[in-house]
Amino acid sequence: MAIIGQLFVNGLIAGSIYALVASGFSLIYATNRFLHLAHGTTVAVGAYLLFALFSVLGIPFFVSALVAIILTGLFGLLMNRAIYSPLRKRKASNIVLLIASLALLSLTENIIMLIAGPGVKSIGWLPTKTGIHIGGAIITPLQIAIIVISVVLMILLYLFMKKTKLGRDMRAVADNKELASIAGINPIRISDYSFMIGSAIAGVAGILIGLEQNLFPTMGVMLIIKGFTGAVIGGMTSVPGAVVGSYIVGVIENLGILWLPSGYKDAIAFALLFVFILWKPTGLFGFNKGVKDA
Amino acid sequence: MLRIKDLEAGYDELNVLKGIDLEVKAGEIVALIGPNGAGKSTVIKSVYDLATVTGGSINFKGKDITGIKTHELLELGINFVTQGRVVFGELQVKENLEIGGDLIKDRDIVEKKLGAVYAKFPALKEKENTLAYTLSGGQRQQLALGRALMNDPSLLLLDEPSLGLSPKLQKELFKTIKDLKKDGISILIVEQNAKKAIEIADRTYLLENGSVALTGGKEIVKHKVIKSVYLGG
Ligand SMILES: Nc1ncnc2c1ncn2[C@@H]1O[C@H](COP(=O)(O)OP(=O)(O)OP(=O)(O)O)[C@@H](O)[C@H]1O
Ligand SMILES: [Mg+2]
Repeated sequence: MAIIGQLFVNGLIAGSIYALVASGFSLIYATNRFLHLAHGTTVAVGAYLLFALFSVLGIPFFVSALVAIILTGLFGLLMNRAIYSPLRKRKASNIVLLIASLALLSLTENIIMLIAGPGVKSIGWLPTKTGIHIGGAIITPLQIAIIVISVVLMILLYLFMKKTKLGRDMRAVADNKELASIAGINPIRISDYSFMIGSAIAGVAGILIGLEQNLFPTMGVMLIIKGFTGAVIGGMTSVPGAVVGSYIVGVIENLGILWLPSGYKDAIAFALLFVFILWKPTGLFGFNKGVKDA
Repeated sequence: MLRIKDLEAGYDELNVLKGIDLEVKAGEIVALIGPNGAGKSTVIKSVYDLATVTGGSINFKGKDITGIKTHELLELGINFVTQGRVVFGELQVKENLEIGGDLIKDRDIVEKKLGAVYAKFPALKEKENTLAYTLSGGQRQQLALGRALMNDPSLLLLDEPSLGLSPKLQKELFKTIKDLKKDGISILIVEQNAKKAIEIADRTYLLENGSVALTGGKEIVKHKVIKSVYLGG
């Protein structure tokens, strides 16, 4: 029984990271309606920025982390302004934008590799601490911090979307972009903000992963697959749905180890992705509440 | 107020409007009628930078507004209530209205405007905290109109506001539109119901195949084309 508890805790930790990736990804998807798969390397950019600022330059940790998060948000804005916006101005199709996002993913990975080298890096801020026992499961303080930070950030994002004017405008654009511009909302401004906010959250994910694991230039690919799966389960355009979906991915892939060798962990996420795309493409929460004809 | 001259417009390769002249004077209701696909919506969309204007000019209060971005037109006092999907279904009723009042900086004035809209459409007040997709068709039209009114428009563009409403609700809607005129708002309305449109309008334009086929005041109801084709004989 203890093993199930441990796997469940591991699932929550993984789910917390995936939720950070998926929430930004689905926020960007909802307001822009194309698959920004390069969101995966945005996470890597966050992690490597922390590595550069803290581990290489020796800037105090919390200052480094904050600057890394802000710069990662600006990196997202840059991708939108430099690549996606010009393409959309020329009425590029979603397939073209998807291809552009894959090119961006690969380009960014290669730039990271050029600057930092292909080998693994580690941030080395926290010494590895012994875990705390909670009901048979072992969890380290850092892992607790990952779960808490993720949950708090998701609550803040939820409140931002529900309670602020900018959040409301984002929901309006996600609902109906043309109507939003008719109602006086500048869709380009909303697009920029969604990239900035979504990418900053990815930066947080990068930092947390960087503290827990080693960094390598292609670390973003697997993360975006997990985050994408979480977003699909959640119905793509629902940020809270993406968060729930991500925890489902994290828990199922970890519990799957009960029946499958641990090497199949990533395959479980793929299987989930295909199951949903084939049989439930609207996700668990993406049901159509009659909005189409509203 | 609004003066459209020799307008040519369409979408990408498709040319829809082939030289339209149309005017809405201050305080007027002007109706635009015609068969499906005639280009009625395209006229309004041209004003709102949602169709591609390839020729002619669109003047509002003496100023050329062709090419002004969709989201910037609200500031000029032109509001557009679209055909079909008219509200943000995933937003609360109140949020839908507040978006309309976003240009007003003073929160007290926004509250006052909200109060005025709720007074006009009491059903919206009751549902202010529910998501708009739960509203009935008639309430959605009220909400869309309410959102447009939040901004104190001087010109309202209404694209088939009676679409899908019961005869009783249509009647209420036309009364509301006449009241808006009394408040001094100029209105350009696209309408399927030709008889009703001609009745409430100061002037009516009949659009066919992207051109104005006929125009006139209330007397055009007696015109033989209108009688035979649009009023069913
Ligand atoms: N977004 C668009 N892209 C391409 N073609 C369009 C678009 N909107 C309308 N059209 C075409 O332009 C022509 C005129 O359409 P428009 O919507 O102006 O007609 P309408 O008079 O409003 O008709 P209805 O009474 O059905 O609303 C039609 O042939 C239509 O197929
Ligand atoms: Mg139309």
